[in-house]
Amino acid sequence: MNQISIRRALVAAALLGSVAVAPLAMAQDYDANATIRIGSLYEPQNLDNTAGAGQGINEAFNGNVYEALFQLTDAGAVEPKLVDSYSASEDGLTYTFKLKPGVTFHSGDPLTAADVKYSIERVTAEASKSSRKKSLSTITGIETPDDQTVVITLSARSISLPYNLSYVWIVNDKATDITASEDGTGPYTLGEWRRGSALALARNDKYWGTAPTNGEVIYTYFTDATALNNALLTNAVDVITSVQSPDSLAQFSGNPAYTVTEGASTTKELLAWNDRVAPFDNVKVRKALAKATDKAKLLNSIWGDYGTLIGSFVPPTDPWYVDLTGVDAYDVEAAKALLAEAGYPDGFEFTLDTPDYDPHPIVAQFLQAEYAKVGVKVNINIITANEWYEKIYKAHDFQATLQEHVNHRDIVFYGNPDFYWGYNNPEVVKLIADSEAAATIDEQTAKLTEANKLIAEDAASNWLYLYPQIVVSAANVTGYPVNGLNSQFFAYGIQKAK
Amino acid sequence: MSAVVASARRSRSSLTLWLGLLLVGLHVAVALLTLVWLPYDPTALTGGRLAPPSLEHWAGTDRLGRDFFTQIMIGSRIALIVGISAVAIGGLIGVTLGVLAAFATRLLDDALAATLDILIAFPTLLIAMLVVAASDTASLGTAVLALGIALSAIVARLTRILAKRVLLMDYITAARTSGTSWLGIVFQHVLPNIWPTLSVNFALQFGLAVIAEASLSYLGLGAPPPNASWGRLLQEAQGTVYTAPIGAIAPGIALVSLVIGVNLLADGLRDIGDPTRRVSR
Repeated sequence: MNQISIRRALVAAALLGSVAVAPLAMAQDYDANATIRIGSLYEPQNLDNTAGAGQGINEAFNGNVYEALFQLTDAGAVEPKLVDSYSASEDGLTYTFKLKPGVTFHSGDPLTAADVKYSIERVTAEASKSSRKKSLSTITGIETPDDQTVVITLSARSISLPYNLSYVWIVNDKATDITASEDGTGPYTLGEWRRGSALALARNDKYWGTAPTNGEVIYTYFTDATALNNALLTNAVDVITSVQSPDSLAQFSGNPAYTVTEGASTTKELLAWNDRVAPFDNVKVRKALAKATDKAKLLNSIWGDYGTLIGSFVPPTDPWYVDLTGVDAYDVEAAKALLAEAGYPDGFEFTLDTPDYDPHPIVAQFLQAEYAKVGVKVNINIITANEWYEKIYKAHDFQATLQEHVNHRDIVFYGNPDFYWGYNNPEVVKLIADSEAAATIDEQTAKLTEANKLIAEDAASNWLYLYPQIVVSAANVTGYPVNGLNSQFFAYGIQKAK
Repeated sequence: MSAVVASARRSRSSLTLWLGLLLVGLHVAVALLTLVWLPYDPTALTGGRLAPPSLEHWAGTDRLGRDFFTQIMIGSRIALIVGISAVAIGGLIGVTLGVLAAFATRLLDDALAATLDILIAFPTLLIAMLVVAASDTASLGTAVLALGIALSAIVARLTRILAKRVLLMDYITAARTSGTSWLGIVFQHVLPNIWPTLSVNFALQFGLAVIAEASLSYLGLGAPPPNASWGRLLQEAQGTVYTAPIGAIAPGIALVSLVIGVNLLADGLRDIGDPTRRVSR
């Protein structure tokens, strides 16, 4: 139990922003030239994050090889990185960024405003497959009055611009093919990349910022979680970036040779109603079924002692988080009463479209057993990921479905009535639209906090739990990120004891 | 000397038969029992997460706290239903096609034989997966139909060969000259003669069907949850195999015991039915 409470405390500390790295990172006698071997399941398809490389490239390259104007820290804060200072015009439509002086690319080329313009246009280009393309669509022009100044003009206010720019890698405009090579400004350069097995990063000794606390990082890729765990057990890797089930942890927790760290992920397990169709267009029905779900028991079934309960779509690392677990807390009697009030005293029957991979089928069976207690019959329909995309995401042809949503700051989906779950509360739509046009971060946060409370009151979806982010390492390795937001895994602070 | 060998062989074959009967009988008994009584409601969350085997829960509980033994008992019922129905469907289609091929003109027979050879070249499981994928939703019915269709090719080829051999017999010529219709020949002469071999083959197909259904369920293409197919239980236990190995061992034993039982039964039946192996006359 003690171990768990330590982990919980760590999560809390990380959320407050005071601790961004694993415990015991204070050891002085680390090996500054150590090789850190990181085991991962997410091998990148190529090395360009605008060319459909997958989440693996963010894990390996974000903050390590490439840097952005701003950096999303492991605690969820947005901090200037390649930007020295910036200002916004009164109307919020013009942003002026001054670049940090003395920054050079790995090729030796200095960082200039032209590189920034080139890099942003890479993401917004027609051919770009970047998931962030849409969030930068308000950009209408990028000017470079001098080498150190970038002026961005917008068609509408966008308070999230610095945040959105934290996803834009700054690439040398002279770089040619970055799908198989790189030219970034980060603390590491690309070493050997053996497709199908490993990607090595070598320390950049000419780095403009604080030097990494290790000499080399090798991401080693596995296709099977068991093989990955075995690699750590046999010392073939030093760190596993994210453990996918609590049951494989039994080999590591309680063993002094390993450290198990639980951070906060942004991955939410969601029972999404189709709010357009009866009976889920009735807020009472949605609230009743939220009350009929023993989420603590579900989380324990899936994740044992790990994971976090959430009362809405917002994880604790988003600035507009408030604890809403008390809204529609577990209460079977109240659920029955609400169902009767909604006109379903004898319950009803619905089909739950369930993706065929873990944990969705087991979650579906849990819900089936739970809802039977309030007279609601669940028919489980197992579908493939592709069917989910076609039937649910595109055609909106469903009653209810299960899905995990991995993105950071994605409450904005509830402001889009055409999104697959069809939630349409004009007040929320307006709050979310206005929040982007807010003049200050505080105003944006206030508006999104309000929207967050409203979606919880409306039980827009049934937010089941937040996945834990579990990192396991050899005990002599410290200083790695614990939250892994957006699959980032900053390697420059990792230390290996001598 | 030969008497000793003969008696040894006889006792071995009857042992095979009895062991097969015992294992299959056990599963049949359990399957029938589940119709009237179960230790727990299979969907009720009655215990803790992955509780080890105990007096209350003989095979422990799964991640949701459902009694594992109850699910394995239901698995017996599902396996038997799948085996029997798939063999019935496969037998009906296969025997019909096989007999038709045996009686057909040379050209049609060649075409059918070639088609069957092509179908057999595909693994049973692959054909079944294609059929399931082509249907809208996965269900026990679809899985059974898919397996039945997949098995029918093997049955059809065997029936065709056996029937053709029977059709060469003098008594068939005699029946034909005496004016017996071809349907009459099928029912009076062909089927009774090929039945012993076919029935052994059916028993083997039954075992195949049970394994194939478990594989389909393991891949998420079988009966949807909460139907407690052994394949699905194995799939769900995959992630917890280190912490709760009973979850993989128990359905594994159940599956193996039924399939071995059926195979032993088939062996025993063959020894009885096949005159070339019958040693005591």
